[in-house]
Amino acid sequence: MLNYIFNIPHAIGVNVLKLLAQVGKISIFFYELIFCIFTPPIYFKSFFNQVIKIGYNSLPVIGLTAFFTGGVLALQIYIGGSRFNAESIVASIVALGITRELGPVIAGLMLAGRVSASISAEIATMKVTEQLDALITLSTNPIRYLVVPRVLAALLTLPILVLIADVIGVMGGFVVGTQSLGFIEQTYIKNTLDIIQLNDVLSGLIKAAVFGFIVAFMGCYHGYNSTGGAQGVGRSTTKAVVSASILILASNYILTSLVFNS
Amino acid sequence: MEDLILKIEKLHKSFGEKVILNDLNINITRNTSQVIIGGSGTGKSVLIKCILGLIQQDQGVISYDNTPLNSDTRKEINFYDKIGMLFQGAALFDSLTVWENITFAIKSKSKSDLKEIAIDKIHKVGLDSSVINLYPSELSGGMQKRVALARAIAKDPQLLFFDEPTTGLDPIMADVINNLINEVIDKIGATAITITHDMESAKKIADKISMLYKGNIIWSGKPGEIERSDNPYVDQFIHGRSEGPIKINIKD
Repeated sequence: MLNYIFNIPHAIGVNVLKLLAQVGKISIFFYELIFCIFTPPIYFKSFFNQVIKIGYNSLPVIGLTAFFTGGVLALQIYIGGSRFNAESIVASIVALGITRELGPVIAGLMLAGRVSASISAEIATMKVTEQLDALITLSTNPIRYLVVPRVLAALLTLPILVLIADVIGVMGGFVVGTQSLGFIEQTYIKNTLDIIQLNDVLSGLIKAAVFGFIVAFMGCYHGYNSTGGAQGVGRSTTKAVVSASILILASNYILTSLVFNS
Repeated sequence: MEDLILKIEKLHKSFGEKVILNDLNINITRNTSQVIIGGSGTGKSVLIKCILGLIQQDQGVISYDNTPLNSDTRKEINFYDKIGMLFQGAALFDSLTVWENITFAIKSKSKSDLKEIAIDKIHKVGLDSSVINLYPSELSGGMQKRVALARAIAKDPQLLFFDEPTTGLDPIMADVINNLINEVIDKIGATAITITHDMESAKKIADKISMLYKGNIIWSGKPGEIERSDNPYVDQFIHGRSEGPIKINIKD
């Protein structure tokens, strides 16, 4: 019985220490990344390759997701709004919802699933096959060569993807609104343009840059610190996607509070 | 007095409670081919990784040309520009072509110059220049090892490391790799450190063989002397007998 009582604080202590160790490791990795970003050399070829991989190749999946999200949002707002005769707000809410929240969050989560997993698996496999060690013996810092291009590419391309997702998402709402819910096209467009302000779009783009950083950073961190062979590659991929998704949702709340409260 | 390129004194490394290297001492003479043999888990790879700075030792000093190595001195003396490493699994970069792999560490040269260097090195390892635009996944295991060897010698290093160079190859290809190692060592006049448990390979490429057991060097000598060694550990290992002083823990 006494043993059982003492086991509880022991387990709490062990887990707190593990958490602190993890925070320490992430902080060191972050510091090394920042140092490498602001000191030469920068591998531009690798950066442009990552812009294509992370940005351009993610366009179809993010575009499709945004279109259907905009469509379903219009449908839900119409159904909800009709309970108190407020169907006319569909275009406004779709525009604000997409630009402020759903555009960046959906794009961030899709990128977490698609890109964070792929980055983590790629770097973890490189670690298992000693390619990271090979980089060091070839006078190349693996963080500079692998992590910096991926993080910069995600940081810079996700805002562009979100801008495109905003347009496609609003179009999704427009298509459903005009084709299925009976809105007049000119009215829908006018309501949309009247409600959107520059701040709405900009706040979404700021969020997108932060989410892009989170997605690539988590993918790189978990891949770089993968252990345990093929199983480790799988574990690091799962950890990358889960941690990136949670951090996106948590930071979304913090950013929304900061941007709109101020 | 011997001209030492590498001096390792009292090297100690543990992972948790498991001691891997236990006050290990070894000197590597310039322009010789030193082979370190030993069973799996005796610390051969850890020893090489400590020298290369891929793993930090707990205690002990590794000196290269009388300079004690640490992360700062490795940068100061451009240590990684002076060495070449052939990894056990080749460790070629999948996303790069053969010529990009070979010339990866060579900076400030034009693409055409780099391709010329790659062709020169690929010929040195007995491959045709037609492979330089292929990707590693398009090559056989033996060809990948040769490309990795070409990458290791691309900068004409002073010190070459070979980690199990013949593992996973058929006997003929293993012999080809052994001959190539001898040839490149002669051609570029480098010092070589090879870790292996392939005795045929060890005898063929070594000027000196040392046996590692339980984290320490227990025997050193010339290839011709190893057969006559009265060390029971060496005798058991080189004849591949399960009976003897080396006990295999099945759990390991």
